[in-house]
Amino acid sequence: MTHALIVRGLVKAFGNHVAVDDISFEVPRGVVYGILGPNGAGKSTTLRMINDIYAPDAGEIVVLDGMKPGGEAAQKIGYLPEERGLYPKMAVGEMIEFIGELRGLSRALARRRAGTWLDRLGLAQWAKNKVQDLSKGMQQKVQFATALIHEPELVILDEPWSGLDPINAEVLREVVGEIRASGRTVLFSTHQMEQAEKIVDHVCIIARGKKLLDGALKDIKRREAADGLISLGFADTASQATADQLLADRALVADKRPPRAGDVADCEVKLAEGVTSQQLLAALVTAGASVRRFEVVVPTLHQIFVDRVGASATVAERRPEAS
Amino acid sequence: MRDFRDMFVIARREFLERVRSRWFVAITLLGPIGMVAMVLIPALIAGRGAEGAKVEIVDQTGVIAQPLAAKLEEAKWKPAIHPASTADDATYRTEMGRIRDNKINGFITIPRDALDGGQIVYRGDNASSQVVQVTLHQIVGLVVQAERGKRAGIPDAKLAELLRPPNFEAQHTNGETEGASGMASFVIAYMLAFILYMVITLYGVAVMRSVVQEKTSRVMELMVATVKPRSLMAGKILGVGAAGLVQIVAWLAMGAITLAYSDQILGAFGVTGKGPALPSMALDVVAIVVVYFVLGFFFYAAMYAAVGAMVSSEQDTQQVQTPVTMLLVIGVLCLQLVSNDPRGSTSAIMTMVPFWSSMLMPMRYVLGGATLGEVAISLAILIVSTVLLARAAAKIYRVGVLMYGKRPNLQELVRWLRY
Repeated sequence: MTHALIVRGLVKAFGNHVAVDDISFEVPRGVVYGILGPNGAGKSTTLRMINDIYAPDAGEIVVLDGMKPGGEAAQKIGYLPEERGLYPKMAVGEMIEFIGELRGLSRALARRRAGTWLDRLGLAQWAKNKVQDLSKGMQQKVQFATALIHEPELVILDEPWSGLDPINAEVLREVVGEIRASGRTVLFSTHQMEQAEKIVDHVCIIARGKKLLDGALKDIKRREAADGLISLGFADTASQATADQLLADRALVADKRPPRAGDVADCEVKLAEGVTSQQLLAALVTAGASVRRFEVVVPTLHQIFVDRVGASATVAERRPEAS
Repeated sequence: MRDFRDMFVIARREFLERVRSRWFVAITLLGPIGMVAMVLIPALIAGRGAEGAKVEIVDQTGVIAQPLAAKLEEAKWKPAIHPASTADDATYRTEMGRIRDNKINGFITIPRDALDGGQIVYRGDNASSQVVQVTLHQIVGLVVQAERGKRAGIPDAKLAELLRPPNFEAQHTNGETEGASGMASFVIAYMLAFILYMVITLYGVAVMRSVVQEKTSRVMELMVATVKPRSLMAGKILGVGAAGLVQIVAWLAMGAITLAYSDQILGAFGVTGKGPALPSMALDVVAIVVVYFVLGFFFYAAMYAAVGAMVSSEQDTQQVQTPVTMLLVIGVLCLQLVSNDPRGSTSAIMTMVPFWSSMLMPMRYVLGGATLGEVAISLAILIVSTVLLARAAAKIYRVGVLMYGKRPNLQELVRWLRY
């Protein structure tokens, strides 16, 4: 079995609000997979169905080796819920140990691993304190430990960066890297593209409950780059003037824009249908423009996301209500 | 198998969280003080409740005052004979004045025709006391009867024989068994029903709050993803129940020790006389009492768990738990009904209904109203409904999960249960 998770035709409605509308995707083993979407896109609802918190209205979920959500699968999954929450009156060490035991570890092993995680997260001296005595940030780290203590095959993190400071975000990145290195799978959701881009292998972009795009980030970027966005820079104003004449040719260039903020390029152009970057470069050289910079723009995940999701990125968050 | 393991892991967590809390330790240790008080206070009241009461006797017959004063002195009262031989308004006023000034507790007015049925009246600031009433009633009765005997010319020896009280005792039986230990067991059954009521209100509510707190602390999303709600509910009920049982067993043990040494303890406080004795109970009665106690607790705990699963905050629990409390109160009120007519059809029905069987069946069985077969049926009903309730609670919890701030209406509840 090469997949950590297969989701087919997943549908979930709350009343007449369809939170997840026929979503399908496959998560290969050993990758870091990001479900990306604006607030209210249906990310958490999808993850909750995979964790057997909600029952899907339609569709199928296959976890690891042909398992259904819940039951046996629960021991192979680690989950950081969107709603963070621990038992406030429980000792920090015991809290981690408790979840470890429920996820199938023996008591002794759970205790040992809890100790290891507390050391790792710098919480060792807090082990005997009650959860409620910890700051929100520290509680967040404890919550991470509960998701990872049983070394699950599939780690599901719902909005892992919310409430994390940059230092802990770095720790998270490190931990995710380790999980991938050990051949296990991470599935996370977020709307923070900059963070996601640093760790993600595969993405699935959803908005308003529908899938817009999925696949390996590498392939997606290559595809998007092939759309022909080129960033240009010229040696002097004369070259610039020469180039501007050439770039006005609609048969060659479909669109010309000023450079992005912070970019040192002179302009950005989108090639016309059927024109390759090679042809543009040849045309510029032939015209005698002195080219200082010629770069096929590879869009950032953020750009891809904004392009695809467009205006729906600003859709206000809506809490699902079961009824 | 895994469900059971999860259940015990959860039960252990709930148990330890409770047992380790300072409140639990404090209440467990302070309980016995209440227990000692329960032994001491009745003994103190019974022993010296009316002792030292200052009463004056206004006697118009001239024959009753002397023996009455003697008898009252025997009961450690402080009687005095008023010199006035007529009960005129002036005497009445001065005696009332003396009560007002706290010189005396009260005075007894004996009319001239007291031996022929004239009304003897006691007026006093302690006349509402049961002990004072009973003591005076007995002593005055004896003295009047003795004087009537003397007037009829009966010799003293014969008189004593006439006035010796008969030896009488009421024994309960259903025609099959000897009812000798019946009354003692009856008292136990009555007390246990009340203790059960107390324990349910204490720990049943604890189960409910434990469920609600999982919502307020938001830990439930993690829990639902990790274990089956059924294991979660069962574990909670077991864990909180075990904590409650530990406390009760601790109390009962301390209580039993207190009772066993009650004479010594009373002696240390300078009180002579017996404390209440620990009645002996037949084995079958003990077994039935214990089984119903435990099952009754779990039944109501499951009910409270369901209530907790319906609401989303502690404030909401107040209204929703009222019906449960009502059911409990009905059970307590029906104790009298069952004890009055243990073999009647109302008792038979009430002891089958799982809401009340745990409180009423031990009573009915002790009074010989129920056969072992009936007990078995009622137990089966209780067990099955407890399991069903716990499952319903788990379902409500499962479906109501993540429904913050909204309480389901009846229609939604029914839909949740079918889900």
